[in-house]
Amino acid sequence: MPSALQSYESTRKSWLIAGTVIAVLTLLPFVLNQLGRTGEYWLWVATEMVIMSLFSLSLNLILGFGGMVSFGHAAFFGVGAYTVALLMKKAGVGFLPAMVAAPLASALVAGIIGWFCVRRVGLYFSILTLAFGQLLFMITLQLYAFTGGDDGIHGIPRPELLTPLSYYLLCLALVAGSFWLMRLLTKSPFGLTIRMTRENPERAKFLGINVKRYQLINFIIAGGFAGLAGGLFAELNRFAQTEYLHWSKSAEPIFASLVGGMYSLIGPAIGSTVLIFLKIIIQQIHQGLVEIWAIILGVILLGMVLFAPEGIVGVYEKIRTQRRRPQ
Amino acid sequence: MNLQFMLFILINGLSQGMVLFIIASGLSLVFGVLRVINFAHGSLYMIGAFMAFSLSSLFAGKTLFAFLMLMLLVPPGVAILGLGLEVSLFRRIYRKEHLLQLLLTYSLVLILDGLTRLIWGGQIRNVPRPEVLAGSLDLFGLYFPSYNLFLLIVGPLLAAGLWVLLYRSRAGNYIRAAVTYPEMLGALGVNVPRVMTWTFMLGCFLAGLGGVFMSALANIDLSIGMERIIECFAVVVIGGLGSVGGAMLGSLIIGVGVAFIQIYFSRMALVFPYVIMALVLIIRPWGLFGKPER
Amino acid sequence: MNRTILNVDNLHKSFGRSAVLNGVSFSIPEGEISSIIGPNGAGKTTLFNVITGLYAPNKGSISFNGRNLVGLQPYQIVPLGIAKAFQITSIFPRLTVWENILAAVITHRKKNLDFMTPLSKLTPIHERAQELLDSVGLSDYAHYQSGTLAHGNQKRLDIALSLALSPKLLLLDEPTAGMSPEERRDTVTLIKNLWERLSITMLFIEHDMDIVFGISQKVRVLCYGVLIAEGTPDEISHNPKVIEVYLGEGE
Repeated sequence: MPSALQSYESTRKSWLIAGTVIAVLTLLPFVLNQLGRTGEYWLWVATEMVIMSLFSLSLNLILGFGGMVSFGHAAFFGVGAYTVALLMKKAGVGFLPAMVAAPLASALVAGIIGWFCVRRVGLYFSILTLAFGQLLFMITLQLYAFTGGDDGIHGIPRPELLTPLSYYLLCLALVAGSFWLMRLLTKSPFGLTIRMTRENPERAKFLGINVKRYQLINFIIAGGFAGLAGGLFAELNRFAQTEYLHWSKSAEPIFASLVGGMYSLIGPAIGSTVLIFLKIIIQQIHQGLVEIWAIILGVILLGMVLFAPEGIVGVYEKIRTQRRRPQ
Repeated sequence: MNLQFMLFILINGLSQGMVLFIIASGLSLVFGVLRVINFAHGSLYMIGAFMAFSLSSLFAGKTLFAFLMLMLLVPPGVAILGLGLEVSLFRRIYRKEHLLQLLLTYSLVLILDGLTRLIWGGQIRNVPRPEVLAGSLDLFGLYFPSYNLFLLIVGPLLAAGLWVLLYRSRAGNYIRAAVTYPEMLGALGVNVPRVMTWTFMLGCFLAGLGGVFMSALANIDLSIGMERIIECFAVVVIGGLGSVGGAMLGSLIIGVGVAFIQIYFSRMALVFPYVIMALVLIIRPWGLFGKPER
Repeated sequence: MNRTILNVDNLHKSFGRSAVLNGVSFSIPEGEISSIIGPNGAGKTTLFNVITGLYAPNKGSISFNGRNLVGLQPYQIVPLGIAKAFQITSIFPRLTVWENILAAVITHRKKNLDFMTPLSKLTPIHERAQELLDSVGLSDYAHYQSGTLAHGNQKRLDIALSLALSPKLLLLDEPTAGMSPEERRDTVTLIKNLWERLSITMLFIEHDMDIVFGISQKVRVLCYGVLIAEGTPDEISHNPKVIEVYLGEGE
């Protein structure tokens, strides 16, 4: 019996959920502010979660949506971070122009790197993204005079208007706005084109689509959003370091997408938030367990791959459709 | 430029390349037959190296005997670990899409590397070379470290052995058939799962053997797993998958390249495999041994 | 006499040392429905792949409506008006049937770069998509995931995708391969209907001789990369060279 599975479709219910979530997230800092020092910490964590959600969402445009595994996405995150750091700290540029420059810079870099990478498919595409990511990491490390090398760039100025609370709300607004844009994108003809190139690139070619071109455009868009995330992250921590470009940073959104659900739009955001939350909880429980975080993460991933590759969202969807069907 | 110095680096690079060849051929074999890129291959190699370290401390003093014991015991040990992994995990992902396979093997990297850190700690270790190989040979007025020479002999011997196994033995026929006609083989009554398991174990055996040799060649620490797997990717990109000769050439290029760059631009040495990968993939994606398609 | 829509001249294609096409030449007039037959390995699929730009020929020329095709990529050839339906059905499995067709129509109308308009608001495209689904009889299946469709229906979808491009020349590579006799009959009827209604030039590769002789106006026989005979079904079935090739084939 053919089933009626539809990916990337929304129902009216999800608008309600979205509205509730946004409301909760907006009110959250006001609640946290009452908790004094603990509140400050959790506000910082919440801001980080919001920003990292954007990072993971941006990767999933390439990964789950586009069907291409990129191991070098942190490069664009890092470019965004360093753009903000360099412009604000060293060139005295204001917050707003710096935040506009970040995604533009990373989109440009994504265009250059992506041009080479989309010329290959499958595993070779992945290896090439890894290679470029690490090359960019190394370049950043070596350009000591420019980027501070190993030390990174510290002391990025924080404009007076941006208290921790207002910065959180700003990030929330920007990320929500980005999410809305991504949603439009996935539901547009361009989005359908990308899904075509994922499902059957050969057939797409024979319909007249220059697959490489669209993959590159998608790659650039994803890179731009990653750059915005990087810029926001640099401003949050008020420093940028070379670790932001390392492949281990590239792995984070991949895990987030797997855990949250690669085949849905919101999945990576959920996955990213859950993983950050877990890491913090484990850190709170037992200091020593921090070292075992890698092992725990590995076990979680293992479990997800074997038993729930569609992620949290996928499991939720399965439960939902099973409840509807009388068995 | 001192000739002795140059020679030293060259020999060092070549022997590192030989060890890399041993490891990379294991990875290539596993990919050819099982169609899985085993990210954790580097971690298995690292476990082999640390196992060699632990075992060697049991035989303090009797270095030659110890070394022979290491070669005899560690690779099968890693192979058995591989058996456990194959039966419990890898078997379940053969039909899954590549991304999931990659993620599974990467999660193994996290787990295995984490366990390695827990068991052996973060210190740098090494294994003493057997006395007979600890010095150097004086040839034509130049010194050649004996252990490195040993590896320069063992490497090609192993390559020859692998070639014989793959192209002249019954087991090799099964392996090569499984690479080329996986579905057909089952229909012909061959126990394909068993071929896959044995191939995987062979791959792990080679990883372990590489670990033993490396533990006496240079210092080992917790980073060697990731370093080696990246270099393996570069070898596979240069030499193409499934070519013993290609793996050898690729390994030697990487080995020598890293050795020389390390002297002159120490930090860039880590980038060298990536640069090579990027260049080859951009210019000649079918590797140095393959043929372009169109 | 209709003008020539496709002209293939002295086409050669080798893969390494094996020569698959050894100087194939023929012309197809506009509006013709014809087939290419030949024993396995004769080069029929390769011929299609060279025409559609997947492979570059070693020698020879191909012109479509006077335009040279050699050197162009598939995605450049398709908009000129040639569409190919695949031998092994090639659709977008996890997209719904409706999304499959929408995608094809959007591509034909060059709207792929539209980032912002929601798909649901593109009424003219929806109308065309519905039209196409109706013409192949798949309207009932619009919202099923296309990968879950029965093989025959997937084939119809494949054809519909090609039709979405409003092609002037449609190449069909073994359209009834792997089908039951009933599915086969349905597909043939569909192809014949489409040809009659839409006046598309059709060229198909087939092994089923009933189909070949049933609906082709012309039959061309390819053997070892060379065209050994060309004519009406009647002429071909009495051609001694063709009989010799197929003797013992037991078709």
